[in-house]
Amino acid sequence: MITLDEVSTATAGFLAEQWGKAVTVEAIEKIFGGASRETYRLTLNVDGKTRGVIVRRDPPSSLIDTERELEYGAYERIFPTDIPVPEPLFVSNDPAIMQQPFSVMAAINDCQTDVSLLSPEQKQQLGRHKYDLLGRLAARDPLALGFDELVPVPSLEEAAALQLAYWEGVILDDEIHPQPIAQAAIRWLKRNMPPPAQKLSVVHGDYRTGNFLFDTDCQIQGVLDWEMCHLGDPLEDLAWSLDPLWSWNDPGLAGRLIPIDEAISVWESASGLVCDPEVFRWWRVFASLKAIAIWISSSEDFESGEGKDSILATAGWVMTERQNRILLEYLAPESQSGEIEA
Amino acid sequence: MIPNTDNALRMLSQRMMAQLLPDLKSNYSISDGFMIGLLVNAIADEMAEGIHRRVEDIEDMRRILKSAPDGLPAGSAALLDAPLEDLRLATVNERHDALTRLLILIQTRAEETDDVTLQAEIWGYLRRHAARHVITAVP
Repeated sequence: MITLDEVSTATAGFLAEQWGKAVTVEAIEKIFGGASRETYRLTLNVDGKTRGVIVRRDPPSSLIDTERELEYGAYERIFPTDIPVPEPLFVSNDPAIMQQPFSVMAAINDCQTDVSLLSPEQKQQLGRHKYDLLGRLAARDPLALGFDELVPVPSLEEAAALQLAYWEGVILDDEIHPQPIAQAAIRWLKRNMPPPAQKLSVVHGDYRTGNFLFDTDCQIQGVLDWEMCHLGDPLEDLAWSLDPLWSWNDPGLAGRLIPIDEAISVWESASGLVCDPEVFRWWRVFASLKAIAIWISSSEDFESGEGKDSILATAGWVMTERQNRILLEYLAPESQSGEIEA
Repeated sequence: MIPNTDNALRMLSQRMMAQLLPDLKSNYSISDGFMIGLLVNAIADEMAEGIHRRVEDIEDMRRILKSAPDGLPAGSAALLDAPLEDLRLATVNERHDALTRLLILIQTRAEETDDVTLQAEIWGYLRRHAARHVITAVP
């Protein structure tokens, strides 16, 4: 447990040393949600000038067991491109500073993540930008971006199988109760493996509404939360972004923004890739299985007492229940297709 | 004594969300408190219905497993026939988990042998199970 005062003092001291300038904290706020990192927004005074930063600190437990360097490394490689991300400033693994590893990014000001109050026209604009950006990410050469220095480089043939094996392992390691629907999904996925990926892409891993900041013109100014990024089949991100869980009560809308067909069309135009419906069905089932694995993992953290954040309990219980219903709709013999309500 | 513990939890949750949360200073604490309030409501529902839902699942699974004894490991009969020792949550959970493992086993076998009737039976159960355990307290 760390207090706001401790984060504030540690950040000011660390940044003063890094920048060689006087740094004081004018305001600090802990940001709710996500739970893969503890996130703090700080307003600093640096040599008389106001500056905002975001500090992401590893908690003892998180929804996703990942290395902080992965997310920071992704920011470093994406920041120079036309995909907007927060500017990475520093990463530290020294536990003496803030008890846990942490990273510091420049704050993106005057933006929000909540789409619930947008007009239909604004949602349309934001949705098209969201899928255009995802398509552009898919089109990029991950090796040219330097991602091969950060994450393993799978072959086109093994990209899907590696992801399936990873998340199957998470479920086996962390499940508190047996999971018949998830197990049925794993068997189905193994029986119906997709063809090799069209290309190898940077896969964000959690590209969804809520994980990007947009401004008042509905332009995305920062794609956040890259801690699950890896190299793989670009259809993986598209499928994840379209999971019914992110659509809440708008099952026909991609991430509560634009019709699913339109989202796919924008993505295809921007990426130059094809979304084959048969292949895509595999990735959509996989996306829900991966989500279940994450919810199960958070449930295990909460049950074991490793994490006490209420969002872990919500994910582990409520999200698992909803994701099970989504997988049922995908897999049960009488409902082989169709969009459903989360 | 509080005879209707589920209602007591709901009232306490409402009090926390309506009267205590507005006095908190940070947005983080308000959001966290609101989430906890919703979860307490869900726990209230679970307290009222959870054992009943699990017992319904157990009876449902027993019926399916008894109709498909071929794929079951030796010693499964006791799980299928023995009554629950008591209705404590831990006891009911343990039996529910044991039967669910058997269900996964025979579902796998049904897929391998292309037994579509048994597969449909099991998916029917999974659908009923999912419907029984829907969480409505969290929007």
